[in-house]
Amino acid sequence: MTTSAPESKTVFAAEHDVPIPYMQRTRDYYLTLGYSPYRWAHFVEVPFTPLGTPLSRARVALITTAAPFQPKVGDQGPGAAYNAAAKFYQVYSVSTESVPDLRISHVGYDRLHTSAADINTYLPLARMKDAVAAGRIGALGPRLHGAPTNRSHRVTTETDCPEILRRCREDGVDAAVLVPS
Amino acid sequence: MCHQTVSLAARHLEANGISTVIMGCAKDIVEHCGVPRFLFSDFPLGNSAGRPFDVESQARTLELALEILKSAPGARTTMQSPLRWSADASWKCDYLDLTKLSPEKIAERRKEFDEVKTIARAKRETS
Repeated sequence: MTTSAPESKTVFAAEHDVPIPYMQRTRDYYLTLGYSPYRWAHFVEVPFTPLGTPLSRARVALITTAAPFQPKVGDQGPGAAYNAAAKFYQVYSVSTESVPDLRISHVGYDRLHTSAADINTYLPLARMKDAVAAGRIGALGPRLHGAPTNRSHRVTTETDCPEILRRCREDGVDAAVLVPS
Repeated sequence: MCHQTVSLAARHLEANGISTVIMGCAKDIVEHCGVPRFLFSDFPLGNSAGRPFDVESQARTLELALEILKSAPGARTTMQSPLRWSADASWKCDYLDLTKLSPEKIAERRKEFDEVKTIARAKRETS
């Protein structure tokens, strides 16, 4: 009697099961609509600052691209259509004492497969408070900061980024968690 | 645009002595820009901080980001969250999928986009 080892069968993941190529999709989409391609920000050099304080003693900022709810500019609720009127163009700050009413109807999130019904999917403030309570993080910054999503790299780089830095320094933070919507 | 904005902000903070970590869903945009630390969740845009109404997923996502913040050995550190949005990955094919759009629909989308741009411009100019 002969025996043979059972054949191991390698099963690959589906070809499309990769991170979505957003830059290519966006480029193709807007070219088809008749617009010229967008030039995405791209650098060779990347700055790096090691965390100089143990995380359990560090003060950590939260930076978001979500927008404060504005009652007069239309639907900003879960699943709302893209709402350009809800956009903002200046850095804002709100207290981290309680979770503020921030929405994401002003950006192109995936409205087909998610609905922005739970703020904790794009604003981890409650989870960060849990982390502070558990001693994982030393403290939160007293304010979270909102970053405008401007198509202009120049405005983001020359105006908004220095303003965010200024506010983070005012708050005396050691580190920042940044969360796009 | 959100992912590019926070990437530029992370770079600026980091260059000025503040350590950063990004939690996001658009891997190509963040890595193309080049950032210090990045936790990538392979979820639909809008879920950078975890799955909806799933505290465990959100807590785990934050914890991974904090771990990277603490221990990344250098710039361009990306970790992909092991969490899956769904067993079936076909949702990834849908975002801005042109193959499902008729010429009429494309014309309609262009009109909508022009309208949106007009609203955004007006808002920007009054800000």
